[in-house]
Amino acid sequence: MNKVTPPRNLAGWCGRLLIVDLTHQKSWVESLSADLLHDSIGGRGLGVRLLRDTYQLDPFSAAMPLIFAGGPLCGTIAPASARLSVVSRSPLTGTIHASSCGGAMALQLKAAGYDALKITGVSAAPVLLSIAGDQVQIESATHLWGLPVSNTLAALKPVGGAAIIGPAGEHQVLYANIMTAEGSAAGRGGLGAVMGAKRLKGIQIAGKKPVVVADAEGVERSVNDIMRLLNAAPVIFGELGFAEYGTPALIDLLAQRRMVPTNNFRETFFAETSRYAAPALRRRYQPVSQGCHDCPIACKKATRDQQRLPEHGSLSHFGALLGISDLDIIVAACRLCNDLGLDTLSAAATIAAFSEASGEGIRAEDLPHRLGQIAMRQEDGDLLAQGARRLTTALGCPHLAMTVKGLELPAYDPRGAYGMALAYATSNRGACHLPAYPVAHEILRKPVASDRFDFAGKAWMNIVAENTHVVGDSLVACRFVFLAAGLEEYAALLTAVTGVDFTATQLLAGGERIWLSERYYNQMNGFTSADDMLPERFFQEPGSSGHGISIPAIDRQRFLDERARYYRLRGLDDRGQVPSHFLENRL
Amino acid sequence: MIRQVEKYRHQLERDGAVRQGRVALVAQDDLIREAGATDLCRIGRALLSEVKSIALVIGEPWLPFQNLYPLCLAPESQRIAPLDTETRTFLHDIPLVRRHHGRIDWADVAGLLGQRKGVLVEGVGIIAVGSVTVEQGYVNFSTLYHALFVGYLLHLLQDEPRCAEIVELGPLLEQLAHPIPQLLDDIAAGPFADEHAVRKAIEQAGQRTVELHLVDSFFGNISCHVNNQLMISQTGASLDALAGCVDLVPDDNSTTAGLTASSELPAHRAIYAATGATVILHGHPKFTVLMSLLCDEQGCHIADCWKDCPQVRYLGTVPVVAGEVGAGGIAKNLAPVMADGIGVVYGHGVFAAGTVDFRQPLHKMIALENWCRREYQRLLGQKIAGHEKSGVKSGSR
Repeated sequence: MNKVTPPRNLAGWCGRLLIVDLTHQKSWVESLSADLLHDSIGGRGLGVRLLRDTYQLDPFSAAMPLIFAGGPLCGTIAPASARLSVVSRSPLTGTIHASSCGGAMALQLKAAGYDALKITGVSAAPVLLSIAGDQVQIESATHLWGLPVSNTLAALKPVGGAAIIGPAGEHQVLYANIMTAEGSAAGRGGLGAVMGAKRLKGIQIAGKKPVVVADAEGVERSVNDIMRLLNAAPVIFGELGFAEYGTPALIDLLAQRRMVPTNNFRETFFAETSRYAAPALRRRYQPVSQGCHDCPIACKKATRDQQRLPEHGSLSHFGALLGISDLDIIVAACRLCNDLGLDTLSAAATIAAFSEASGEGIRAEDLPHRLGQIAMRQEDGDLLAQGARRLTTALGCPHLAMTVKGLELPAYDPRGAYGMALAYATSNRGACHLPAYPVAHEILRKPVASDRFDFAGKAWMNIVAENTHVVGDSLVACRFVFLAAGLEEYAALLTAVTGVDFTATQLLAGGERIWLSERYYNQMNGFTSADDMLPERFFQEPGSSGHGISIPAIDRQRFLDERARYYRLRGLDDRGQVPSHFLENRL
Repeated sequence: MIRQVEKYRHQLERDGAVRQGRVALVAQDDLIREAGATDLCRIGRALLSEVKSIALVIGEPWLPFQNLYPLCLAPESQRIAPLDTETRTFLHDIPLVRRHHGRIDWADVAGLLGQRKGVLVEGVGIIAVGSVTVEQGYVNFSTLYHALFVGYLLHLLQDEPRCAEIVELGPLLEQLAHPIPQLLDDIAAGPFADEHAVRKAIEQAGQRTVELHLVDSFFGNISCHVNNQLMISQTGASLDALAGCVDLVPDDNSTTAGLTASSELPAHRAIYAATGATVILHGHPKFTVLMSLLCDEQGCHIADCWKDCPQVRYLGTVPVVAGEVGAGGIAKNLAPVMADGIGVVYGHGVFAAGTVDFRQPLHKMIALENWCRREYQRLLGQKIAGHEKSGVKSGSR
């Protein structure tokens, strides 16, 4: 491997990019300039920047990069800031796709001396990539190919961090995940299939380089400020909060708000949610907390024998969306998805669409077989492996796909929160609650509460939130810390870690640039305002009103008006297109 | 949006936070909306064009902190560090922008507003931003005002105020001369017949707490324990607008639908468990908050008193304990001292409990705040008298 001298005086970053070409079985290091790192921050921003010349390639083409990037706060005492961003083009949606996940990968990537790992090419046979500091080895993984995630990990016994795919990724299921050794998933957009197309079964990485910060006292002060805010946030450290119950704490709340996607979004209330809600999970499994590296929240929950338990979205979609209430069956289905490397939300949503389209009921006991068929692309599973949009199109009923830009909707019904409705439509990666996370103000009342049944002000709220979370995904910090702290606190922390002056305004402007870059790349791949649209069902069919809460269908004109306002405030034209002058300023 | 702009302009005046007619709100969606003093609107518009926020609130507090703080701080100081717990948690500190050669550097103000929730500008007033809603601008303004009020009035007792400061204190002395009235006769009497009656009683008591200026902004919380469950105000709810903002939290946590309950849920639960109370009211009456910060302990080495002080001190007969917000220790420290149904958290506020209805906690909270006002008035009087004497001896400063 060639020697690369990173830029001088970098704290927080390494200034080095490791590139691995699987076609030619070689690797090398390139330096990343200080300017590029300051502009892109890391994680999602850095990944998007590194896609600049390849974003129009087919996701499965050899030259399409698959990028793993950590952030400048990783390895410091910053809370919940050691996450990893995985970036490429989604084979499910065709959009640029950035996925954030926990686990030790980001920490080890940095300890090995890299800000990011860029993988290109296609190996002739299955391989495993092993990185130990400057030593990079591409080894045969023929003996691992075909194994589920758990068996692969058992065979590998990775030291440090590891990211692998299961059979779903190998068979290029369009919503295959990349799984970390700790059980976290880089999910939704099918980046596991991109990894499978490269015949890369797994990556293991370890390093020993210490992390340098510019101002240790400043870091400690900022962390204390953030921790005080986290302590004051009921959703985080409250008696019913995520630290105590994990994200399943949302299940009862969303049921009370009557916005639980039920039976493929035909209803918004499922009478049996309490059978798999957080208290039921606690009674059944007496969970213990598992956090991402050094995370004080530790929202992940596991059984006492360290089996990871599902989160809110997975429980809800394998529960209400499929009309199932048996907790053990739901948990088993979610675990099987993780072992096969399937995205739980897309898997459940695709099965729900198939059930409605085919008129076949869902038999809970058939789920394991159905999921296995999908992962192996056998029989009907080959069609279901392509996601709800392609499935329903093939069956002649595309209106039954509850997707935006081809991504299946997660477990918040948009008829119960109009900021969420707008966010699903305009998200750069399709129907996802995470980019704008309107759950914060519409449901959890953070940083301020907003009327969930009013579109007024939602365009601005979503824009600020999207820009903020782009920065969070670039740092790479957990979304949940932004339920309590803000860029005010994280700008101070980033300044202390790197020694470079950052302000919240600068970070927001940087976040906007990254967001617009993603939008521009999608636009160049053919996306238009027609893709910023919800499925027709939400404008035509009301949800399940009751208990004094009315859930009408969404007013299409109000939705379109707010979307138009969103375009104007974003600086897009009235067709939602990024203006050409942005090219000069793109990331 | 214009409704919001008008609403919060009126609310700031009604709160008594600003001089009548000397506040402005400017908001931008895809249009600019504004209300209030013309000259302040002009400043707000210019600033908002530079700051990525939806709203900006600019106002002159009724005590002119924009003139007083620059006098009492060291000339080089550009930060005001609030000592009260809640604002310390949410604001960290407050930037002070000073005049240089008689001019304000507005670019500096805009830069700070891009980083912080608000600033104090010498000769101008408090400026706060709302990054996503107009309401957020109002909340931030109120928070800054509360912190500045507590911090400044504490300074008057602890330091040597200048003559130029003392001459500005007329409105304060006038306010201190009028105790808060015990307006309780119309407060719903308990016990409450059903859940509906509890909700109505909570809404009424919350409204009265705000009307009597026992809490500012969207702080404070309120609950009732009935039928093995708490009915408690939601996080971020304004006590004078609680309709639809009360969560049910069963004692056995058999549902997590109360995830949005107030951050002080643990404190409420601990107090119910330790006492026979059935209702709790938590407010931030200003004089109680600032008097709780006075401590005459000599040779104490504790630096972070608001969370680390192990002592139980007293305001009259009411105990004061330390503890951080939410999961930060209030519940553990407060519950054991609530035998008389009232306790103060250092630099934070008052928890008052009752066994029948909200008349009891309201009465206790008003009585305590009036006691603190009188005590403050007495101490300030001594300070001013001492100052006048020394002024005679050594000439005014």
